[in-house]
Amino acid sequence: MGKAYVVTSGKGGVGKTTTTANLGTALAMMGKKVCLMDLDIGLRNLDVVLGLDNRIMYDIVDVANDRAKLSQALVKDKRFDDKLYLLPAAQNTDKSALNEDQVLKIVNDLKPNFDYIFIDCPAGIEQGFMNAIVGADSAIIVTTPEISAVRDADRVVGLLERNPLQEEPHLIINRIRRHMMQDGSMMDVDEITHHLGVELLGIIFDDDAVISTSNHGEPIVLDPDNPAGQGYRDVARRLEGESVPLMKIEQEIHKSFWKRVSSWFKKD
Amino acid sequence: MQDAAVLKGTNDGYELVLDERASMNEIFSSLSKLLDKLKTQTASVSPKAIKFDVLTGNRLLTSEDRKKLEEIFSNYEYFSIHKVLSEVISNERAEKIRQQENVHVVDRIIRNGQDVHLEGDVIFLGTVHQGGKLFVSGNLYVMGNVHGIVQAGYPNIETKLIIGDLHNAQQVRIGEQFEILDDVSENNLTRESVVYVNDLHVIDYGKIEDLKRINPKFFNMVGGVING
Repeated sequence: MGKAYVVTSGKGGVGKTTTTANLGTALAMMGKKVCLMDLDIGLRNLDVVLGLDNRIMYDIVDVANDRAKLSQALVKDKRFDDKLYLLPAAQNTDKSALNEDQVLKIVNDLKPNFDYIFIDCPAGIEQGFMNAIVGADSAIIVTTPEISAVRDADRVVGLLERNPLQEEPHLIINRIRRHMMQDGSMMDVDEITHHLGVELLGIIFDDDAVISTSNHGEPIVLDPDNPAGQGYRDVARRLEGESVPLMKIEQEIHKSFWKRVSSWFKKD
Repeated sequence: MQDAAVLKGTNDGYELVLDERASMNEIFSSLSKLLDKLKTQTASVSPKAIKFDVLTGNRLLTSEDRKKLEEIFSNYEYFSIHKVLSEVISNERAEKIRQQENVHVVDRIIRNGQDVHLEGDVIFLGTVHQGGKLFVSGNLYVMGNVHGIVQAGYPNIETKLIIGDLHNAQQVRIGEQFEILDDVSENNLTRESVVYVNDLHVIDYGKIEDLKRINPKFFNMVGGVING
């Protein structure tokens, strides 16, 4: 029996879809069977980030309305032999096309066949949010070290307290810029975690490659050297119960030989 | 059998004691008889309006009983009900009084978008996040962190106070008065500010040392139970 996580944030653009795609991919690479559910109906992106947009035949609304079987709608990611599946959102309608009972049924149908189900929640706290949390066992709240994202995350934690899931929510702080956090111009990881009062699941550093790889339909976790990919892999291992230390914020400065030599001659 | 309604005279006036074990019908008929008798007795003297306290003992009158009672009195020109007193109160009312008179200790996080309403006085040990609101019908003693909006005397009691550290709060409200703390000089807010509504119905700030001057009644309330 698998476990369903809803990936949510309240605010848009903090990296819910990226997080869903990367966590799913990381766990699939670890040999787990994963299904990613896109509930951002009308503005679907998860398929694009995974590079599966050309393969969609049916979507979740078709399944909910019995126009297709669940197995027909699942899109297999061929890169991870039979480990990673996507249940795509519909694009030709909106969030009100589904109700909570329909989503709950789909999640419950998926659970026996997968180890993990990640539900990509749309931004906002309307029907789409309610649909996304109804089937979930736990929530992963994604935020960035910005006051607006943290406020919205706070709101979402409050809503989850009112509709409690089986497990306490987890927190991922995304898009951390090391130098800004180091010089104090960005909210601190501890500060955010303490403020929200939610268990920290991981931190992800901001990296240009996240955007460029997403554009090619390749999640960043596939890059073994990328720090953002490393962050997602750490989170995946923590979900599997391993204890992995948090990545250090302090940046080790690898200057090239000539830069080091030239710095000796600099005035300050 | 004893009469279901008995007249008693006290220093404060006349009391009508209704037997709590008698049925309401018995009481009403007995009461009518009693009042008839009184009417004839008082008719000989110069007529004067008399107000009665009606004591119901361990019985709560329903609104219909109450109506019936008033109907009976309306038959007599000079008689009327001053007040109806009972030895008992309903559970609902008792709970309300208990809530109002108690000081509640509250330790929780009030998050962005959450509104929390509490009856009575509250000692708040938790955190109000930005965008969270705490409404208290009595006084509010803040010992936790407030980054959101707090209101004492909700919805419209201006004699209530907010005491504590409000440095980081967004707004304070007392009764119908409110203030946005961004607009208030930092000097007004200490770690132990007293926020109150002054004689001009404007929110004002003081120190705990000055509490006696700010609201002399405040201390009288402490320790006693006031059953309204």
